[in-house]
Amino acid sequence: MEFLNELQSAAFWVGLWQIILINIVLSGDNAVVIALAARSLPPRQQKAAVFWGAGAAVVMRIVLTIFAVALLKYPYLKLIGAALLLWIAVKLLLPEDGDDGGVESSDNLWAAIKTILIADLVMSLDNVIAVAAAARGSLTLLILGLAISIPIVIVGATMLMKVMDRFPIIITIGAALLGWVAGDMAATDPVVKDWVDANAAWLHWGAPAAGAIIVVAAGKWLAARAEAGRKAVVDLGESSETGAPR
Amino acid sequence: MIGGRLMLKFLVAVDGSAPSNRAVDQLIGHLTLLKDPAEIHLLNVQHPIPYGSRVSAVVGHDKIAQFHREEGMAALKTAMQKLDAAKIGYHHHIGVGAEAEVICQYVKEKGCDQIFLGTRGLGTVSNLVLGSVASKVIHLSQVPVLLVK
Repeated sequence: MEFLNELQSAAFWVGLWQIILINIVLSGDNAVVIALAARSLPPRQQKAAVFWGAGAAVVMRIVLTIFAVALLKYPYLKLIGAALLLWIAVKLLLPEDGDDGGVESSDNLWAAIKTILIADLVMSLDNVIAVAAAARGSLTLLILGLAISIPIVIVGATMLMKVMDRFPIIITIGAALLGWVAGDMAATDPVVKDWVDANAAWLHWGAPAAGAIIVVAAGKWLAARAEAGRKAVVDLGESSETGAPR
Repeated sequence: MIGGRLMLKFLVAVDGSAPSNRAVDQLIGHLTLLKDPAEIHLLNVQHPIPYGSRVSAVVGHDKIAQFHREEGMAALKTAMQKLDAAKIGYHHHIGVGAEAEVICQYVKEKGCDQIFLGTRGLGTVSNLVLGSVASKVIHLSQVPVLLVK
């Protein structure tokens, strides 16, 4: 019966929409990685890499979600989670920095799967923290969030990449939402909750709003700085093929 | 002869679409009328991939560059074949970023005298006549722009 009552509350539906948007935005990067890593493989292996990559992402999400539910009851963990979320959200808005990632790009199936698994682990963790924050302790929402994110990862790669390329504003909105839920999560950590309720109830909307604003402002500023810091124009044409110095 | 140089330099922005390939035809037509050879730069501009910083942290910069290169070469293919068939030498480039800005950066860097650009004529109402890239290039460019429908 508790479940039916929950369906009637506005908070539930707000939470559900938040989780859907978060899932779209935070599964998009995972899908892009899977697509990129699988690209240079022969077609049959490509399917295998996508299948195992998406499968592993699903398993990791289920396991991590169970952990997240258990952990978020403890003091300070929501605060840590909130800080982590803010960082994730700002990172979403930054362009590629040109530094090489740790993973070497070789073109065999195992290298692709390794890349995909690392991405799965990192990006599923981000996703689960964000969804847990938006679910605000509701198990129903958490499970729904999980269920929604799974098909997005499996089906999404190419489609999501096109959508995000065409409408980059979605990522900005998603990042702002992450900032919002981060602020909300911080204000409800067991350590601060009683104090906030008693002395500063306005923080229940003030902290989320601040989180959203900080994320977008910091992200845009850092992205603009990265853009300005770029030395010369990029040329991946003939000069990069021959390896000639430019 | 412009600015004391002996050779004219043209940049053609190529995205693989029919209008952009017609811009290449147009350029080939112009070149047959010139008595001196010209320097040709073909440029394709790729959008940065979404989630750049998060994705490159996992797959590495090389992989993303390779992706852009493959997509870029696919877009340039027809234009390169046209020039090859006409026995005209050229340089090809693949840039990453916002189309109009990157086109104008290249024009500046290579010292080009004119831009050849296909215009799509699609898009929203404000871009009913010109493509949005074309109208932005016209706005930003210091050199003449030749639009091809």
